[in-house]
Amino acid sequence: MPYDAPGHADELSDELRERWNETIGRAFAAQNEALKKRFFTLDPDGLREPRSSDAIKWPGDPGKPAYCVGEDNARALSDWGLTGRRAVQLEYCEYMIVSARDATGALRPKRVEITTEFREFWACVAMHDPDKVRAMAAGVLGTEPTWEELYGVGDPRALTPEEREIAFGHACAGHGNDRRLRVAGVPAQPTGRLNMERALFMTHPINGIDDLIYVGIFGAHAYCVSDRDLRRQASGDDVFSAFKVTHLACNHADPTISLGVYDLVYHGKQVAFANPLGMYIREPNLEVFSYAGKALPADWVRFSRGKPGSYMRLEFGPPDDHEAFLDDITLSLGAADQPLTGGYQLLRELEIGPLVRVGETDPIAEDEWEVLEPAAATIACDEAESCQAVRDLLVRFESEHAGRKAPRTMPGAAT
Amino acid sequence: MAALQEGIYHAPGNRPGRHFGLLFLRVADGVDAPRAAAALGDLWAMYQGLKAGRVRDLDGVELPADKDETTVLLGFGRNAFKLAGTALARPRGLADEYLFRSADPDGGGPLLRGSGLSYAPDVHANMATEAFCVQVIAESKLAVDRAVVETWKALADAGDPVLALTTFYLGNQRNDHRSWIDFYDGLSNLRSEDREGVIAIGPGTDEGWAVGGTYIAFMRLAIDLVGWRRLSRTDQELAVGRDKRSGCPLVELGEDGAPRADPGCPVAGTQIFESANDGPFAEPPEVSDLAVRASHVQRANHHIRPASDFGSRRIFRQGYEFLEWAEGPPGFRAGLNFVSFQDTPGRLLKMMTAGGWLGGANFGGDEDKHPELASLLSVYGAGIYFVPPVVDGEPFPGAAALGVALASPPPPEPAPPPPEPAPPPPEPAASPTGGAAAPQE
Repeated sequence: MPYDAPGHADELSDELRERWNETIGRAFAAQNEALKKRFFTLDPDGLREPRSSDAIKWPGDPGKPAYCVGEDNARALSDWGLTGRRAVQLEYCEYMIVSARDATGALRPKRVEITTEFREFWACVAMHDPDKVRAMAAGVLGTEPTWEELYGVGDPRALTPEEREIAFGHACAGHGNDRRLRVAGVPAQPTGRLNMERALFMTHPINGIDDLIYVGIFGAHAYCVSDRDLRRQASGDDVFSAFKVTHLACNHADPTISLGVYDLVYHGKQVAFANPLGMYIREPNLEVFSYAGKALPADWVRFSRGKPGSYMRLEFGPPDDHEAFLDDITLSLGAADQPLTGGYQLLRELEIGPLVRVGETDPIAEDEWEVLEPAAATIACDEAESCQAVRDLLVRFESEHAGRKAPRTMPGAAT
Repeated sequence: MAALQEGIYHAPGNRPGRHFGLLFLRVADGVDAPRAAAALGDLWAMYQGLKAGRVRDLDGVELPADKDETTVLLGFGRNAFKLAGTALARPRGLADEYLFRSADPDGGGPLLRGSGLSYAPDVHANMATEAFCVQVIAESKLAVDRAVVETWKALADAGDPVLALTTFYLGNQRNDHRSWIDFYDGLSNLRSEDREGVIAIGPGTDEGWAVGGTYIAFMRLAIDLVGWRRLSRTDQELAVGRDKRSGCPLVELGEDGAPRADPGCPVAGTQIFESANDGPFAEPPEVSDLAVRASHVQRANHHIRPASDFGSRRIFRQGYEFLEWAEGPPGFRAGLNFVSFQDTPGRLLKMMTAGGWLGGANFGGDEDKHPELASLLSVYGAGIYFVPPVVDGEPFPGAAALGVALASPPPPEPAPPPPEPAPPPPEPAASPTGGAAAPQE
């Protein structure tokens, strides 16, 4: 495997690069063997006649809650501070709203910090190179964090790599569904302030590379549907219903990855995640944003952790020393001009996704076709059972905000 | 059972009629939803008569309408849901953020922030935003023209003015499958199996009454043919993303800087618009050449699957060309009645405004290098309308939104009277199996 640091954002030593590739390899190895077909590879350099594809990307806003409780409620839940981040920001994109007090003393949103960085990469660096991870965190946060903030201990160099991984998991990364970390008592989500008050990197286990690889290889099959003796390409309903994973159809990322890969495979291609493996924010059209009737100042839109076209971090909003706040920015959509009050609106203007490489491969053999039954019905994404958690969350949100005014100041936002 | 209205030609092999009309109906001040519904119900009945060859002023005369294959589609605009007595809330897709901006009263103005499309300088008001629109499509121009005139008659004959025909736009399809810029058009419309998932509002929404409906988006786009013809063929092809003669999608620039299409396109012995090319060539492939990626067809389709997902930004297009007199050179205005259907207008608006898509672009291609492209299209009218589903028992689509109660289902058929005693059957023909002979027709 040839993967460099995501976004080429960091220089890696040979050893660290090897460790990162081992991390990716473990995520692949942990998948069910039956899912692995020759149509997906972790070796983009080995593809025949390779080309890049930009066809696997999706809107960054959480899709599932919008299906379940509508866009207005989805926006409220998604912008609900750390609670919202951990409950519904499941599209390989997490954000925090950083607030500040205005001249009247009111708490108002100042900026949105968006990250698409994998926790596995940060955990890998934290495990093997504490100085490096501290430098990375300093670059993101603007100030150098203490060892205690990063690891919960005064000197991580005194720990073994395994102990550092656990310590970093507690403080900053959570367990990411890694069995070893769960057994070691690492919680699902971190408890340290660095990645709770700020968006340092993604922490939800669903936003990890193991899930990305799973939905990728799930789609990398020669599925088809036999329809009146003709073989046709399976639809999303066919594929997700056949394997009883209809929940995968009900967000933005999963169906786009699975069916995007499947579409390529069906047309005879082999697919790999491009080097570097990462989750990238596409360049948005900033013309839809304005401040005082003019284009946003350049320093209000700060991309980092990557290169043009492959950034993994965006800080959006006026700098701390500017008198304006996030909700002084106007977002013009259609005939509406609305204040930008949080991250949900912003994420709807962003596209997220990995970079993909596509190569030629041998034709699909007869015995490689996996014939599926056509779906009996369209998948209903507002179905009661799968939406229960979102609906319960909305009940909680409404009870906590009962009687409050409309949230010009953001609920639960960090200061 | 809710279903899409007629006039959306998405089924395989279902080709739209050659002629198009889009009529806009304004509700008079003070008129409430029930009165508007009554007027619409009368109009709808008149349209059904027209389709069957009946004109109200020619009682008893049957016109030869069967070859017209007329379809009539009714759309509800934002203003329809402002009427007093409206029974249902404005659908989400008619929220302000999914509508076009108004024209500047001084003329021109952006159609959308973030889009390179603007109203023409001589447009001071957008005439395509009324309470209702009616799309008429037919094989003959007369059938469409007649619908316009008969609409006026029906409204003029009403005692109190309830609805007024404020404007209409006409268009026609070309039998050469090309548009006024001489390129093939409409080739990369959706794969047929994807269409309904893109067009129809599906389950999984809290607006159950809208399921099975859709949204129609309309833009009357004038083309600056003078500027277009100043471009070389190569620059035109790079703007469109297709070979001008063959219609084949471009895949790259050659070493000589000339755009190249797939050498296997079109399928031997066919033309690009024929079905043999649908699979391999009608939809442009994903390309890496930046000059080709900047073209119109590449900006409008990023090949994202599934098409049914909002993020794919796929739409179903059904446009018609127009030509009309205009002051000043060249003495006419040529353009496109852009029409698309989608389950949410957000698909189209995001396609038109998002970075890397058509955001900031007027048409596509290198608009910095060729300013003609940055003003190629100008808007003479634009609107978004909800197209309610056809529901059993409604006198016209969307009637329930205006407070009209559903008609009771028809009573069950009465039991048939006992049959007359049949005459004794003829002797069956001799049959080796002893079965009866086939009945006579």
